[in-house]
Amino acid sequence: MSTAAPDIPPPRRANGPLRTLIATLGVAIAFLAVGAQLIRLALLGQGELSASLNETVAQSFARPDIVDRNGRLLATDVEVYSLFADPARVIDRDEVIEKLAAVFSDLDRAALRKDLSDRNRRFVWLRRGLSPRVAQQVHNLGLPGLDFRRELRRAYPGGRLAGHVIGYVNIDNKGVAGIERYVDEVVGVESVQAATIAERPPVRLSIDIGVQHAVEAELASAVERFEAKGAAAIVLDVTNGEVLASASLPTVDPARPGMSLEPGNLDKISSSTFELGSVFKTLTVAMALDRALVTPETILDVRKQLVSGRFTIKDLHSAGRPLSVAEIFIRSSNVGAAMLALQAGTQNFQQFLGRLSLLDVMKTEAGPVAPPQLPKRWGEIETITIAYGHGIAMAPLQFAAAAASIVNGGQKVSPTFVKRPTGAGQADIPLVSAETSARMRAMMRRNVAEPGGTGKRAEVQGYEVGGKTGTAEMPGPGGYREKAVISSFLAAFPMDEPRYLVFTLLFEPKGNKESGGEVVASRNAAPTTARIVSRIGPLLGMLPKQSASLGGRILAFDAASAAKYEAR
Amino acid sequence: MRIIILGALLMTIASAFVLYSSNYDTRQFELRLADQERAIEKARSDIAVLKAERAHLGRPDRIEPLARELGLGPASERQVAPSAEAALARASGGNASLALKSKGN
Repeated sequence: MSTAAPDIPPPRRANGPLRTLIATLGVAIAFLAVGAQLIRLALLGQGELSASLNETVAQSFARPDIVDRNGRLLATDVEVYSLFADPARVIDRDEVIEKLAAVFSDLDRAALRKDLSDRNRRFVWLRRGLSPRVAQQVHNLGLPGLDFRRELRRAYPGGRLAGHVIGYVNIDNKGVAGIERYVDEVVGVESVQAATIAERPPVRLSIDIGVQHAVEAELASAVERFEAKGAAAIVLDVTNGEVLASASLPTVDPARPGMSLEPGNLDKISSSTFELGSVFKTLTVAMALDRALVTPETILDVRKQLVSGRFTIKDLHSAGRPLSVAEIFIRSSNVGAAMLALQAGTQNFQQFLGRLSLLDVMKTEAGPVAPPQLPKRWGEIETITIAYGHGIAMAPLQFAAAAASIVNGGQKVSPTFVKRPTGAGQADIPLVSAETSARMRAMMRRNVAEPGGTGKRAEVQGYEVGGKTGTAEMPGPGGYREKAVISSFLAAFPMDEPRYLVFTLLFEPKGNKESGGEVVASRNAAPTTARIVSRIGPLLGMLPKQSASLGGRILAFDAASAAKYEAR
Repeated sequence: MRIIILGALLMTIASAFVLYSSNYDTRQFELRLADQERAIEKARSDIAVLKAERAHLGRPDRIEPLARELGLGPASERQVAPSAEAALARASGGNASLALKSKGN
C-alpha cells in the first residue's frame, strides 16, 4: 500500500490511515499488556498459598483440648518438629548416617541405610516429635536432603494424672483409647497438613484434677502402708453420675501408649472385672427390703450352716444368736445374705440385678466397660454365693453405679466422664423405692458410726460417712486363695443426703503392723476411704459439719467457683 | 479525533502505571499479610506451649508438697464453727490462736 503512495498527490491523505494504524496498534499493545498483567495477577494473585506441598503429605489431626470440670488443662496440642529425608537429594549416605547417629544415640543404622538407598522414594520419616532443641541440633549438621515438618503432638501437662481415663493417641495424633478416642468419634478432630492448632472448644470432663490427685496420692500411700499389689478408687456424684475421680494403681502415662497395654497396668475401675465380695450384700439387702420381704428389724436365725448340694456356707465369726437384717448387714453375715437371696428366689434376685443394669455391658465415654462375668448356670448355689458377692464378677465402675442408685433415693445413675451441662438433670428412673434407699443409708451409716460396725475406721468427723466393707478372696488355680484378697470399701457421704460415693479397692494387701496383722477391709480399705473422704470433702466445696450444727449448712469458703482455674 | 486518540493513549499509560503500582502494593501487602499470619501462627503455638507449661507447673503433685511445706492442709472439723460464740467457747477451752482466727472472720 505505501509503495503505491508516492504517485498520489495529497500526501496527508496517504499518511492518515498509516498513523491511525500505528496509533491503534500502540493502543492495542498497551491494552494487551494491561490484559496480560491482569491475567497474571488473577493467576498468581494468591501466590503464597501455592507453596509446593510435598508429594507425600503427612496427615495429622488437630485435637481440641481436654480440661477438667473446672477448666484446668489435662491434654493439649503443642507444635513439634518432625525430621524427614528426601533420598533423591541426599548426597552422602554415610555422612548422613554418621552425623545423625551423633544426635540420636539409638539410631538404627541398617534400617536408615536401607531407607536412604531407595532413590525412588522422595519422602522418608526419620524422627517424629522432636523438641525444638534437638531439631536445631540436626539443623546445625547442615545435611542436604533432610528437612523438617512442623506437626502437632499431644501433651499431657498433668503427667500420669488420670492416665487411664484420658487414654492415648497414636503417632498421627489420632485418638486410640479412653477419652481421646471419644474425642475422635464424638467431638471431632480436624485433619490438618501442618501444625494448625484446633479451634474447637475444649472437651470438659467431669473429673476434678484436685480430687483425682488426692485419690491417687492416698491410694499410693495405702499401697505402701498395706503392701498391696495395686489399688483403685472411684468417686461418683450420685445425683447425676458424674465421675469426679477414677484412679487405678499402677498408673499409666498417656504419653506412653505402650504402658496401658501391659496386663498389670489395666484400668481396674472399668477394664477389669472382679468378684467384689461382701460389698455386694448392699444390693442383696436392698433387694430384700425393696421387695418388702423383710424390714431392717426382722430377725433371722443365722446360727446354723447353710447347706446347698455339696456346699456348706457358714459365717467365720458367728454371733451365736439370731440377728436382725440390719445386724446381718453390719456384721456382714454370709449366711444371712444368702438366706435373704434365697427368700427372694433366684428369679427375683436375677431380675433385681438386671434392673440395676449389672447383667449387661455398660458403656461410658471412655469406651465399653469390661462385661460382667455371670455364672453359666444360675441355680440355687449361685444365688447363695452371689448374695455375698462371689460367683459374679464385674467392673467396679458398674457396681459403683448400681450402689449409687441404692443410696441416692433409688434413682438410676449412669456414670459419665464428661461434664453434664448444669441443670440437665437425668431422667428419673426409679430402681428402688425412696424408703428402701433411706433404710439402706441408715444401715450404712450405722456400720460406720457404731463401734461394732466393720466400717468404723472409715469415720471422718463431720462428714457422716456410711458404707460397707468387702473382703473377697481372689480366685487362683484350683480354688480361692485365702491370703490373696481384694479388700474394698463402698462409702457415701454425707449420709443424710448423699452427694458423693467413694468406692475403694486394695488388691492383695498384706497383714502387717499397719493393719493389725489382718487382711480384712475394715483394717485397710476402710481407713483408706476415710483419708480419701477427709481430703476430697473440702475440695468438693463441702465443709465438715459440727455435730452441734447438724442441719444448718455452713460454708466458710467457696471452693466451687470454677473461673479461677479457667485455661482459656 | 487526534485528541481522543492522544487522550486514550495517555489514559492507557496512566492506567498501566496505576496497575503497576497497585500490583506492587498488593505484593507488599501480601508479604506483610504472610508475615502477620506467620506471627499469629507462632503466637498461637507459643500460647499452646505456655498453656501446657502453666498446667504442668500447676499440677497437683507439684503443688501439694509446696502447700504442705507452708502448713496448709484439708479443712478439718476444727476449723469451722456454726457461730462466733461457738468458736469462742471452743477456743477458750484451749486454743487461743483459733479464737483470733474466728474473730477475724
